Amino acid sequence: MASTSVHIDQVTKRYGDSIAVDGVSLDIAKGEFFTLLGSSGCGKTTLLRIIAGFLKQTSGRILFGNSCIDDLAPQHRNTGMVFQSYAIFPHLSVVDNIAYGLRARGLKAAEVKQKVDTYLALTRLSHLGHRKPRELSGGQQQRVVLARAMVIEPDVLLMDEPLSNLDTEMRMHLRTEIRALQRKIGVTTIYVTHDQEEALLMSDRIAVMRGGRLEQVASPHDIYNKPSTRFVASFIGENNFLPAVHRGNAEAGFVRIELPGGQFTAKLRGELPQGALEAAFRPQDIELRPLDGDGDGLVGTLTDIQFLGGTVRYAIDLGGGHLVQVAGASRTGVMLPEIGTRHRLGLSPAAIALFAPEAA
Amino acid sequence: MSAVTDTETPLRRGGGLARHFGFWPVVTAIVLVLIVGLLLVPVANIVGVSLSAGAKTGSIFENYVNFFSERFYYQTLINSFWVSIWAMIFAVCLGVPAAYFVNRYEIWGRGFVRAAVVLTFVSPPFIGSYSWVVLFGRSGVLTQFFNSIGVSLPSIYGASGIIFVFTLQFFPFVFLLVSSGLKSIDQSVEDAARNLGSSEFRTFRTAIAPLLVPSITTSALLVFIASFTDLGTPIILGERFRVLPVLIYGEFVNEFGGRPVLASALSVLLLSVTTGALLLQRWLSARFSYATSAIRPLQVQEQPLGKRIAATAFVFLLIGFALLPLVNIVVSSFLQSNGPVLVASFTLDNYARILDRITLPLWNTLFYTTVATMLCAIIGTAIAYIIVRRPGPVSSLLDTVVMFSYAVPGIVLGVGLVVTYHEPPFALTGTAAIIILAYFIRRLPFSVRSSVSMLQQISRDTEDASINLGAGPGRTFAKITVPLLATAILSGALLTWSNTIRELSATLILQSGTTTTVAIEIFNEVVNGNFGLASALGTVLILLTFLPLVVLFTLLGKKEEALV
Repeated sequence: MASTSVHIDQVTKRYGDSIAVDGVSLDIAKGEFFTLLGSSGCGKTTLLRIIAGFLKQTSGRILFGNSCIDDLAPQHRNTGMVFQSYAIFPHLSVVDNIAYGLRARGLKAAEVKQKVDTYLALTRLSHLGHRKPRELSGGQQQRVVLARAMVIEPDVLLMDEPLSNLDTEMRMHLRTEIRALQRKIGVTTIYVTHDQEEALLMSDRIAVMRGGRLEQVASPHDIYNKPSTRFVASFIGENNFLPAVHRGNAEAGFVRIELPGGQFTAKLRGELPQGALEAAFRPQDIELRPLDGDGDGLVGTLTDIQFLGGTVRYAIDLGGGHLVQVAGASRTGVMLPEIGTRHRLGLSPAAIALFAPEAA
Repeated sequence: MSAVTDTETPLRRGGGLARHFGFWPVVTAIVLVLIVGLLLVPVANIVGVSLSAGAKTGSIFENYVNFFSERFYYQTLINSFWVSIWAMIFAVCLGVPAAYFVNRYEIWGRGFVRAAVVLTFVSPPFIGSYSWVVLFGRSGVLTQFFNSIGVSLPSIYGASGIIFVFTLQFFPFVFLLVSSGLKSIDQSVEDAARNLGSSEFRTFRTAIAPLLVPSITTSALLVFIASFTDLGTPIILGERFRVLPVLIYGEFVNEFGGRPVLASALSVLLLSVTTGALLLQRWLSARFSYATSAIRPLQVQEQPLGKRIAATAFVFLLIGFALLPLVNIVVSSFLQSNGPVLVASFTLDNYARILDRITLPLWNTLFYTTVATMLCAIIGTAIAYIIVRRPGPVSSLLDTVVMFSYAVPGIVLGVGLVVTYHEPPFALTGTAAIIILAYFIRRLPFSVRSSVSMLQQISRDTEDASINLGAGPGRTFAKITVPLLATAILSGALLTWSNTIRELSATLILQSGTTTTVAIEIFNEVVNGNFGLASALGTVLILLTFLPLVVLFTLLGKKEEALV
């Protein structure tokens, strides 16, 4: 297998005054499924196209293994790219699409056939080999371009939002299929998406990008549970944010903070930011308690209930313009509270993350 | 050591020049050399020659001063404007209502009307002119008929005849462009206006017509340019009424080798007018463009029977006049003729007589047209690729120059090529090569435009995918881009063929005896008054012109709007 590690070293891409990729450095291990996650315009696709060689970075270096690829033309980089628009060759049959890269490399016909057959089988397309792309469904076309990109045994597989044009069901299905295939082949993969669920489900590691910069690089579990910036906390999953004031230290590794309506103990994650603070906590980490209990907790009025079947969402008004979302499981035989009743919100110290507020 | 050489299957690399400089830079350089050599240098040379110092005053402007001080000369410029402006006005006045009726009213025989417009549009103008002479000339069939019943018709010769022929010949510009303009307007625009209480005419005037302004101005200026640069019609019909192209032709080919200096000055004047008109057209379309796109284009409306009949009558009268010369050519090619006088008895004589004389011109015509068309298809597609996919200063220069080649009239290009390539090491005058190159550069815009509009619709990802899979730029162009553009390239080629095969004005300047074409032979027979032979040759030429269009419309499913 020709797969390799990828080292991105201080890569920057400027367009005149605007900056699309801003000093990004990444080390991607051989065989890793690595995802660039961010909303549109964050620079993730630009970075991917720089790696493929379609764009030239303004500064910085990219290495595949130990060799620098900056001066290689895109056709000599040996990357396999899967495009958002499929970019299937509409005039070529499935077999000819898959064989395209092998023929460009001058492989013998017998070798081409053998490799194409292997990948037709891997992507379960064997029965469709002689169809033209227009006779295939979207999901089948996507499998063709996947096979086309993998059959050349690329150093790195590059995928640019490959599932975003598919319907939900097909997308769910292909996520697992792509991941399984990638594991089986063991090819280093850089996957670009704006869909956080997709990123969390598929990746070994995720890099969250914003404004051309990396916000956080971590495993899906850590990205969700230990967001390192306020942006990641708000971008991945759902979070409540409340202004917080530092009220002194508790035992080692814990601090006392004051939120609108009550004091809490929070577990420290790294350094406590200086100055003003914001506390973030996820809806499902909050426990709705009756008012008569005691201990820490914010007190607020239930203003809205959204019943979603398995889960129930409550909106709690703390007063002063602060609204908190709470998510709870709905259990058979348990009555829902009534709108207008007052509740205490319980939070464990580990559920609270503290950030410096975003500059406006 | 590169990452690639580590792999088991090293990638192929291109060879030769492209290996050192890259495939597209090399192609761009070749294209630039061709365009500069065939278009910009000849035009620059005409300007240069026209400014060579005169014998009398020694001023470099002597030729121009002469032109504007002698009535014999400057009157031709006035005449050219006169016929072109009137032809433009009449073509708009006839073409806009005809297009509106055909596209909006349930008139009868709509398919026939469309086919007839196309046929008129692609038929060579000079064939139309002499056909009118056969009908309404001094000894014309209809002139004699009307004389015999005591009606004297207005003369087909002179300014009025030229305006008449230009109007009928060029109104299809207006018809086709306004038709496609109407198709880009959404039905909701009209519905909204009617819903707000507007009558049909008021709706047209206040809601529809303003959206048609770009189509109308563009087509009007195209009529103007076509009329202003046409050489065949004014030679055949003009007699003592001389227009600028006729003067250029006369100065260039007559009298002991002609006077290229004066002809160059005249060419510069002609070119200035056409370039000005083209710039005006671009400015007007940009100024009045609303970039509408129709989800549901304007629909055909049901009309009261009276309106339907009136609209049909108008359209058929117009089409009848436009088709009459063509019908006349085909019919008279089967009639006995005695010089310009045709006799009403059927014969294949004319065809028998052209058989032995047509071999060389027919072979020449087919050969030149085919080679030029292939050059256009190849180079035009490459230029389209550079314009769409490799934006930058060179690309916009190419775009501008290709547009400019629209503005260069055939006769001006002919003069420019002769002035440029009459001496070693590039002594090309009198050769087949110079005619082929002239056809190529004149008709290049058809191929470029056809491929550009298709290429803009093809996602760049498809080509990127090919590059990514290891195919170099040259291989990607051949294996991916060209197959995807196949229909656009083919339709561009068919249009080029159809437009090239009837070329007259540049050929008149560039041909020598051995490089004559069918169009030239027809022209000579007309000038010599052999109408029977001219008609037989004309029928052949009309067939050759129309055949590729049949393929275009039936096999490629193109609409007739693709012609303009």
